[in-house]
Amino acid sequence: MGTYVVRRLLWLPVILLIVSFATFSLARFGPGDPVAVAAGQIRDPEVLDQVRRERGLDGSVVEQYARWLTSALQGDFGESYTIQRGFTVTELILPRMWVSAQLGFVALVVVFAVGIPLGLIAARLAGTWVDPAIIGTLLFLQAIPVLVLIPPLLWLLALQLQWVPVGGWDGLFEIWWIAGVIAVPIPDPRLYVPLIAFTLPGFVGVARLVRVSALEVNTLDYVRTARAKGLSEAVVQFKHVFPNSLLPLITVVGFALSGIIEGAFFVETLLGINGIGRLTFQAVTSRDYDVILATTIIFSTAFVLMNLLAEIAYGFVDPRVRLGASRG
Amino acid sequence: MSQNRLLAILLSVLAVLVLAVGGLSAILLLGGDDGGGGGSGGTTTAPGGGGSAPAEAASGRLRLASNDPVTLDPHVAGDALSAEYIVEVFGGLVTLDQDLNIQLDLAESVEVSDDGLTYTFTLRDDIEFHNGARVTAEDVRWSIERAASRALSSPTAMAYLGDIVGAREHFFGLAEGIEGIEVVDDRTIRFTIDAPKPYFLAKLTYPTAFVVDRQQVEGNPRNWTRQPNGTGPYRLVEWRLGERIVLQANADYHLGAPRLAEAVYLLSGGSALTRWENDELDVASISINDIERARDPNSDLGPYYREWPQFSVSYLAFNTNVPPFDDVHVRRALGLSIDRNRIANVTFNGMIAPATGILMPQMPGYVPDDLTLPFDPEAARAELAQSQYADSMPAIVITETGAGAEASIDMQAFLEQWRTELGIEVEVRQTDFATFLADQDSGRLQAYNAGWIMDYPDPEDILDLLFHSGSQLNSTNYANPQVDALLDQARTEQDAETRLSLYREAQELMIEDAVWLPLYFGTAHQVVKAEVSGWFEPPMVIPRLRYVEVDR
Repeated sequence: MGTYVVRRLLWLPVILLIVSFATFSLARFGPGDPVAVAAGQIRDPEVLDQVRRERGLDGSVVEQYARWLTSALQGDFGESYTIQRGFTVTELILPRMWVSAQLGFVALVVVFAVGIPLGLIAARLAGTWVDPAIIGTLLFLQAIPVLVLIPPLLWLLALQLQWVPVGGWDGLFEIWWIAGVIAVPIPDPRLYVPLIAFTLPGFVGVARLVRVSALEVNTLDYVRTARAKGLSEAVVQFKHVFPNSLLPLITVVGFALSGIIEGAFFVETLLGINGIGRLTFQAVTSRDYDVILATTIIFSTAFVLMNLLAEIAYGFVDPRVRLGASRG
Repeated sequence: MSQNRLLAILLSVLAVLVLAVGGLSAILLLGGDDGGGGGSGGTTTAPGGGGSAPAEAASGRLRLASNDPVTLDPHVAGDALSAEYIVEVFGGLVTLDQDLNIQLDLAESVEVSDDGLTYTFTLRDDIEFHNGARVTAEDVRWSIERAASRALSSPTAMAYLGDIVGAREHFFGLAEGIEGIEVVDDRTIRFTIDAPKPYFLAKLTYPTAFVVDRQQVEGNPRNWTRQPNGTGPYRLVEWRLGERIVLQANADYHLGAPRLAEAVYLLSGGSALTRWENDELDVASISINDIERARDPNSDLGPYYREWPQFSVSYLAFNTNVPPFDDVHVRRALGLSIDRNRIANVTFNGMIAPATGILMPQMPGYVPDDLTLPFDPEAARAELAQSQYADSMPAIVITETGAGAEASIDMQAFLEQWRTELGIEVEVRQTDFATFLADQDSGRLQAYNAGWIMDYPDPEDILDLLFHSGSQLNSTNYANPQVDALLDQARTEQDAETRLSLYREAQELMIEDAVWLPLYFGTAHQVVKAEVSGWFEPPMVIPRLRYVEVDR
C-alpha cells in the first residue's frame, strides 16, 4: 500500500500540469482579457496592445504558459490584476480559503450528523411506508442541483419568513452575552442557507449508503445470533447493527468533501460568501488569469488527494481491497 | 472613473431588476461582501511633521460599508471604488469642489496661454506629503511621467494624459520623458498640450494626474500602496484586506484641516441596511426592496432617507452599420414604442429617473427639457412603415451583461411593447463583462444595453468620445457629418457658453437620429444617521470626507 500511495502521489504533478495547461489555454482563448476589463470605459486599442505587451499577455499560449510555469515552479504564482492589483495570489487566496474551510468543515459534520440517523431510521423501518417515503424524498432532494435549490430557499427563508439574512458571511458563531458576563456562541443565522445547500446532496448520499449497509448487516449471522440470545432489539441495533453498518462511511468522507468543494462555486457566489469559490468566479468573469490558475490548482490538488484518501480508506475497511497489489 | 463604474451601473441595474423578480441574482452580482480571517496586516504611516496647528481639532468617526479597492495606486486605478479612497489620500494640481467646479489643489495659480496650448502652474508653498516632505514641481513631473510610463503600462493613463505633447511617445517607449512637461523652477511647472482643449484641466482632476512620493514608490515598488504617502486630506492608517480600511484626518491639509477625524470603511458583513438599523453604520444604501419603506416619511427610515443624482446614464445603443439599424426609421420606431416613464414608476417603484437626454442634470450643457423620443405608438408605426425593412425585418439581438438568466426586467417590458406595438420580435443575449467589452470593441454587437459613467464633468467625455465618427469608442459606428463638425468645433472652442451650445446642438441631433435610446439617469438612495452632517453622495467621485461632521 505504501508504494501505491507514493505512486499515486507521483502522478499528482503530472495531473496538475495537465489541468493547469488546460485551464490556462481555456482562460486565454475566452473572449476579452484583463487589460480591457481594467481599462474600463475608455479603451484605446493601441494603448491596450502596449499594455498587453508590457504585461506579457501577447505571444502564443504555449509561450505564456511556459513563462507562468517557470515562475510557478519557483513558488511565484503571480499576482492579481483585476481583483486586487499587486496582491499576490497567496495573499488573496489564504483568507478566503479559511472562510471556505470553516464552512466546509461544518458542512461535513452536518452531512454525517443528519445522514446517519436518517439512514438508520429508514433501514429500521424497512418494509413500512416510512422507508420508501424517506428514500423517495431523499432521492427527490438529491436530484435538485444546488443552483436551483438556493433561490427558492432564499425566497422562503429570507424573503417570506425573514428568518435569515439574504447572504454574507460573518464567521461561524455569533456571541450572545448573558448578563454581560457569560458568552454563548450561537450559530450565525447566515449559516443556514449555505449549509442546507452544501449538505443536502451529501447527507442524502450518506443516508442511502447507511440504509443499504444497515439492511445488509441486519441479515448477517451475528445479528441473528444476537437476537437469538434474547438481547433486546435496542441493544442489537446499538451494539451490533449500527457500528458495523457505519464502517463503509469512512470511504465516502473524501467524496463528500469533493462534493462540498464543488458546491462552493455556486453556494458562495450566490450567497455572497467571500470564500475561494466566489473568488474563482470573480477571477473567471474578470479574466484574472493568475488567480484562476491558482484556484484551479488548489481545487485539483484537493480532488486528487480526496480520491486518494477514499481509496486508502477502502483498503483499511475492506481487506479484500489490496491497493496496487496485483502490480506491486 | 471607468471600469468599475461602468460595471457597477450595468450590474446594479441588472441586479436591482432581478432582485425584484426572484431575489437571486442580486446576491450573485452585488452580494454582501465578506472578508475572511487573515489578510494583510494593518499598517500605520508616520504622522506628518511640522505644519501649522488646525484652527479646530477634528473629531468624530464615520462608519461606512464598502469593499476593498482594486488598487490604491492612483496612476493605474480605473474604477470608482478605488478612486473613492484615492481622492481622499492623494491629490494633484487641481481637484473638484463640492459643486464639481475645478478647484486648485497643489497649485496656487494656473495660467493658460492665449493659444490655449500651455498651462503654467505655480505650486503652493505649504504643500507637504503626509510624512512631512515638501512637494516640488519635480515631484509633479516625476509622478505624471510615471503614470504615463511604458513600465507602469496603465490602461487608463493615456485617456487622461494623452493630450500632453510627447505623452504617447513616452508611453509607447519611443521617448524617454514627456516633452510637453517642463519644470521651470521648484514651484513652477508648465504643460504643453497638442491642441487647445478646454477640458484638459478637468482631466487633471482624475487620479492619473495625482502626485505620489517618488522615494516611497522607488523604495518599495511592489507594496508601497499598502501604506501610501499622499498629499490628500486623509491618510491611510490601516488596511486589512476584506476587513476594514481606516482613514485619519491630515491636520496639516493645505486646503483646510478636515473636520471629520476618522473614517472607517467596513469591508465585510451582511446587509448594510440591517447594520445601519443596528447602529453599526452611519450611511447605508437602500435597495429596491426597502425603497417604499425609506420613502415613507412616517416609517423608521423615512427621516433619514436621501437621494442623490449620479453622473451616469443607461441606454440602448444600435449599430448603425448593421441591418435593420442602418435605417434611422427602425431605430426611431423602437424608441417611440417604449414607455420608460411607466416602467420607471411601476416596475422600479420610482427608484430611477427616466433619462431626459444624454447629458444628466448638473452636467455642463444639460437642458431641463425632455429631449428623448416620447412614447407614441402611432408615430412609431408610422416610422416603421417608412422603413426599408417594413416588410422584411431581420432578426434583432440585443446584448447585455448578465449571467444568462432572465433578461433585465425593463428589457422584458421593452420586448413586450415592441411585440404588441410594432409586431417585432427581439431576442436578448447575455454575456459576462469581459466578453461584452470584447464584443463591443469589435463592433460586432447589433444592439446593446449598457451604461456610461462620467469620468470628468465635461460633455466631451460622453458626446465626443462615444458619438464622433473618428472616436475609437464609437461602437455604434454612428457617423453624422453635421454632428462631427459640431464636436470638432466644440473641442477647441475657448468660449465656455458657445462651447456648451455646440454640445447641446449635437446632443439633439444624436437623439433625433436615435442612435442611442437614453433610458435612465443614475440615482443613489441612502439613509444617513442624524448625527452626521455635511454628508453627500456626489454625482461623481470627488474628495468629500473633509466636509463631513459626526456629532457623537
